[in-house]
Amino acid sequence: MAKLDYFFRETTSGLRRNGLVAFAAISTTFIALLLFGLALLISRQVNIMIDRTTGNVEVAIYLSDPVNDQNVASLRETLMALPIVATVDYENKQEAYERFQDLFANSRELVDNVDPEALPASLRVKLSEPERFQEVAAVLGCEPGRGGYVCAAPGVETLVDQREFLDRLFAVTRVFRVGVLLVAIVMLVSAAVLIANTVRMGLFARRKEIGIMKLVGATNWRIRIPFLIEGLFESLIGAVAAILVLFALKVAFINPLNDSVQFVPWIVNRDVLAIVPWLLFAGVLVAIVAGLVGMRRFLDV
Amino acid sequence: MISLQRVTKVYRNGTTALDDVSMEVEKGEFVFIVGASGSGKSTMIRLLLKEDEATKGDIYVAGKNVAKLTAWKVPHLRRNIGTVFQDFKLLQDKTVFENVAFALEVIGKTKNVIDQRVPEILDLVGLGDKLNNYPDELSGGEQQRVSLARACVNRPLVLLADEPTGNLDPSTSVDIMRLLDKVNRIGTTIVMATHDQAIVDAMRRRVIELEKGKVVRDQARGVYS
Repeated sequence: MAKLDYFFRETTSGLRRNGLVAFAAISTTFIALLLFGLALLISRQVNIMIDRTTGNVEVAIYLSDPVNDQNVASLRETLMALPIVATVDYENKQEAYERFQDLFANSRELVDNVDPEALPASLRVKLSEPERFQEVAAVLGCEPGRGGYVCAAPGVETLVDQREFLDRLFAVTRVFRVGVLLVAIVMLVSAAVLIANTVRMGLFARRKEIGIMKLVGATNWRIRIPFLIEGLFESLIGAVAAILVLFALKVAFINPLNDSVQFVPWIVNRDVLAIVPWLLFAGVLVAIVAGLVGMRRFLDV
Repeated sequence: MISLQRVTKVYRNGTTALDDVSMEVEKGEFVFIVGASGSGKSTMIRLLLKEDEATKGDIYVAGKNVAKLTAWKVPHLRRNIGTVFQDFKLLQDKTVFENVAFALEVIGKTKNVIDQRVPEILDLVGLGDKLNNYPDELSGGEQQRVSLARACVNRPLVLLADEPTGNLDPSTSVDIMRLLDKVNRIGTTIVMATHDQAIVDAMRRRVIELEKGKVVRDQARGVYS
C-alpha cells in the first residue's frame, strides 16, 4: 500500500512538471489511436458489406433456361465430389427474384420492372477453401469470358466467382484502409518517440534526485516505475479520448446513413465497442516500449 | 567489516587514483581517511559503494565481495551502508521528514514503521521540530544532520562519510562529529574521509593517510599529520 502511494505521488508530480511535453505526447497518441481506430472500423465496414452482398456465397453457377431437374442433380453430384466444396444450394427463379427485391428494396421502380422469369436460377456453391476456386471452373469446363466464366458443361450458362468480383469492387476501399493504417502506424511511432522524450526529459531533470535515490539503495525499478506509469497515463488519456471521438463520429456520420441508405449494412455500436480493447492495447504497448526506450540510457547511475 | 585487498583504480583518462591499497576495518571501528585533494579518498568511498569498479583487487563490505555483486544486488549493498556527503545530497522537493522517510520507503518499510522511526531519529539529531521544513529553509549544519538521520534511520552496519564537515563552520562541525561519535558508539562502523585537521586531532581515532593513491600511514589513535 505504501508502495502504491509512493508511485502515485511520483507520477502525478512528474505530470505536473513537464505539462507541455506531456500534452504533446497525449495529443499525438490521441491522433494515432484515432486513425488506428478508423482503419479498424473501415475494415469492419468493408467486411460486413462483403458478407451481406454475397450472402456468404462464394461461387454462383447460373443455369441456362429451361432448367432441367436431372441436370441440376448431376451437376450437384459433380460439385459435391470435389473436396473443396462445402455446400451446394439450388436457388430457383422465384427465390432469385425475392433476393433481388430484398437487395433493391429502396428502388421500387427497378423491382417493379423486372419479371421474375428474367432472373436465372443458380447453384450457389460455398467453398471450404475459396482460393482454390479454379478447381470448380475446371470441372465444369469453364473459360474466362463475358460476365464471369463461360462454361462447357450442359445446362450451365455462366459461372461467377463473387469473391473475385467483390475483391475488385473493394480494392479501392482496401487501399484506403491500408493508407489510413500506415498513417496510424507512423503516428503511433511518433507518439512513442514523444512519450520516450517526456520520460527522458523527466529522468534528465531529476538525475540528481535519481543519484540520491540510488545512494540510499533504491532499485532501478523503483526509480523507473513512476516514469513508466507517467508514460502509460499519457497514452491512456490519448486512447480514451480517441475512443470517445470514434463513438461520436459513428453517431454523427453513420447513424444518419442508417436511415437514408438502408440497403447497405452499416457498423453498429457493438463494432465500435469491439475495437476498444485493441486501442487500449496499442496505447499500453506504445507507452511501455517508449518508456523502456526512453530510459535505456539511464539504466545505471 | 570492510576489507580492501590490493585494490588499484585507474581511471579511463589514465589517472591512478588508488595504487595497490590494502586495509582492514573491524566492526565498530571509527576510521579517518586523510590526505590532500586527489590522494584517493573519494575514490575509495565510491568503490565501497560500487558507484565505480576497482581496476584490480578485491573489496569486501559487510561480508560481501563488492566486485562480484551483480547490478541488481547493488541497491541491497547500499541499504547496509549509510552515506553522508559534503553537499548533503538532500531531495530539495521533499520535506525533512520525507527525505528521511525515503530511505525507509525504498526498503519497503510500512507507513507505521516510518511514522514511528523518522521522528525518533530526527529527535536524536535535534531536528524534532523541523519535520515539515524543506532543505533550503535549513542551515548547512541542520541539512547535514538531516542527511545523517537519513543515513542512520535503517540502522546500517557501515557509515561512510565523505568530507561531512567540508561545508560547515568549526562549531557546527563539532556538533556533527558528536553525532557521528554517538552513532559509532551504538556499534556502527564509520569510515570518514576528511582533511579537517582540528577534528582529526580532537577525536583521537585510527587515521589512515593516503598520498597519491598509496597508504603512507595507518595509526591507531592518530592525529592529522
